[in-house]
Amino acid sequence: MDQRSNRMSRAELAQRAAKIRRLVVEMVGRNGQGYVQQGLGAADLFTYLWFAEANLDPALPDWPERDRIFLSTAHNSAVFHATLAERGLIAADRLESYTRDGSELEINVSERLGPMVEATCGSLGQGLSVACGVALSARRHGKPHRSYVILGDGELQEGQTWEAAMFAAAKGLSNLCLIVDVNDLQVEGSTQNVVRMEPIDEKFAAFGWAVHSLDGHDFDALEEAFDAARRTTDRPSVLLARTLVGKGVPFLEGQMSHNLVFPEDVAARAMAVLEAAR
Amino acid sequence: MTDQSLHLGDFTSSAKSGAAVPKYYGEALVALGHERPEVVALTGDLSPATECDLFRDTFPDRFFTPGIAEANMIGVAAGMARSGDMPFVHTFCVFMSRRAFDQVAMQVAYPRTNVKLAGFLPGLTTLLGVSHQAIEDVAMMRALPNMTVIEPCGGRQIAAAVRAAADFDGPVYLRLHRPSAAVPAGVPPLPLEIGKGQLLRDGKDAVIFAAGHTVDEALAAAESLEAAHGLQVAVANMHTLKPFDRDFVSDLARRTGTVITAENHSIVGGLGSAVAETLMEAGIAARFRRLGVRDRFAEGGSTPYLFDKYGFSAPHIATACLDLLKRSGR
Repeated sequence: MDQRSNRMSRAELAQRAAKIRRLVVEMVGRNGQGYVQQGLGAADLFTYLWFAEANLDPALPDWPERDRIFLSTAHNSAVFHATLAERGLIAADRLESYTRDGSELEINVSERLGPMVEATCGSLGQGLSVACGVALSARRHGKPHRSYVILGDGELQEGQTWEAAMFAAAKGLSNLCLIVDVNDLQVEGSTQNVVRMEPIDEKFAAFGWAVHSLDGHDFDALEEAFDAARRTTDRPSVLLARTLVGKGVPFLEGQMSHNLVFPEDVAARAMAVLEAAR
Repeated sequence: MTDQSLHLGDFTSSAKSGAAVPKYYGEALVALGHERPEVVALTGDLSPATECDLFRDTFPDRFFTPGIAEANMIGVAAGMARSGDMPFVHTFCVFMSRRAFDQVAMQVAYPRTNVKLAGFLPGLTTLLGVSHQAIEDVAMMRALPNMTVIEPCGGRQIAAAVRAAADFDGPVYLRLHRPSAAVPAGVPPLPLEIGKGQLLRDGKDAVIFAAGHTVDEALAAAESLEAAHGLQVAVANMHTLKPFDRDFVSDLARRTGTVITAENHSIVGGLGSAVAETLMEAGIAARFRRLGVRDRFAEGGSTPYLFDKYGFSAPHIATACLDLLKRSGR
């Protein structure tokens, strides 16, 4: 059963992404600080993956044949929870509890939330390995589901990621698709100034992956790359999706802050910009 | 051209070349594989040393080689377990604990994935030196919520340990060692029930709690104390280091009043600590001594040499026992 039969139009996807951005601003704004920049930056990517690419059934979050999506950058939690709510995988009213004491919606996404969290990955570098195991098992049992992993360009500094990259290529895990959110942002600032990871495309190519470099805000480019990944049968695929932190709110765009102080008045200004664009 | 007379050796068994020591672990894993199709094996480039070469040769399609990359191997195993497989992961105890601890904590212990961590070369049992000697793995694994820690005592209990680990639904750390000699004919296999201490020898004068390698050392010490001094010393096999059998330990401690722990591990955080915690919380004031690696790193050497040098061989255990009893005025 393919739940993806009703692919959304570009306009619908854009509306979903806009809604998710508003939710991110609302959720982080309530908190006064948080991962608003990465959330706004990744909203288009998350929208495409959850609404157009992955085979999911909101009525059955633990459907055995669902595609698995691993959020290795587990701190990008505002956009993650917002996307799940918008996709119907969690109730929308749960977003209100984000980061509150006792809530299952933690600032580092944890599987306390439920089966829609495929692994608890707050400790960076681990998601790709677990996804490799799931992909390996799927192949061993002849299951059609695919495994997707989202990680960040800063996270590529974790050595375990490259252990997993070696493994996935060596074992020909073509049912594995990695999406690197290349936002050039880590705690210390620009990834290029901390430990330069470029050329990322050449690194993955040398490791034996099918590499697609694209604009992470371009739904056409995302569709083309994801479709190419599905057609690749001998190796894992990686999408190097360049994104702009703060995307959609001009005064936030390009502001390099891993954990942005985001008081109510700033959040209100951001929300006004997003509302005006509706 | 390959010289067929040359074969792959390793430093994990002290058996002399040519001596036939059964692969107790490897055989148990193969037996399990025949019964349960969900059992798969992964190894960090250490198949012969961890005996999973037998599984590899029997079930090549269920055998996976992540290479020399333990962190990734733990994640891969966790992913397979999340998909319904039962992975047995093979490397040395040091690499399972020191090297991949965060991965074990986050991808195995926290989500209770059904991964069995089969570690070899416990404590001071190798020539390979400090880099290969796990003297804190029990402390680390014991501190992890959801983790079960099992250390069988030699060839006669390995099969039962493998079976118990497979029957248990959740993460298990198996602390294993390849025996240097076959179990003598006529010695029956020892059963293993998770969480139940095992009294191998009863006695009223003192009790020695041991695990793994030190069980035989403790039995030898108890025999020498009886022969030379007429003392009745109990020996308990604490094959499950977590969950720890507190009632069993408390009863023996109350009954004898003199308690020795002997472990092939640091005295910090392992068997000795588990017994001390138990006695204090039960309000039992016993004469007490921990034998094991006294908070220092060791070096490569033969097992008897190292056990003696670092103070937990049979003579050291017997001496400690006499010393405690003398202080008690007995």
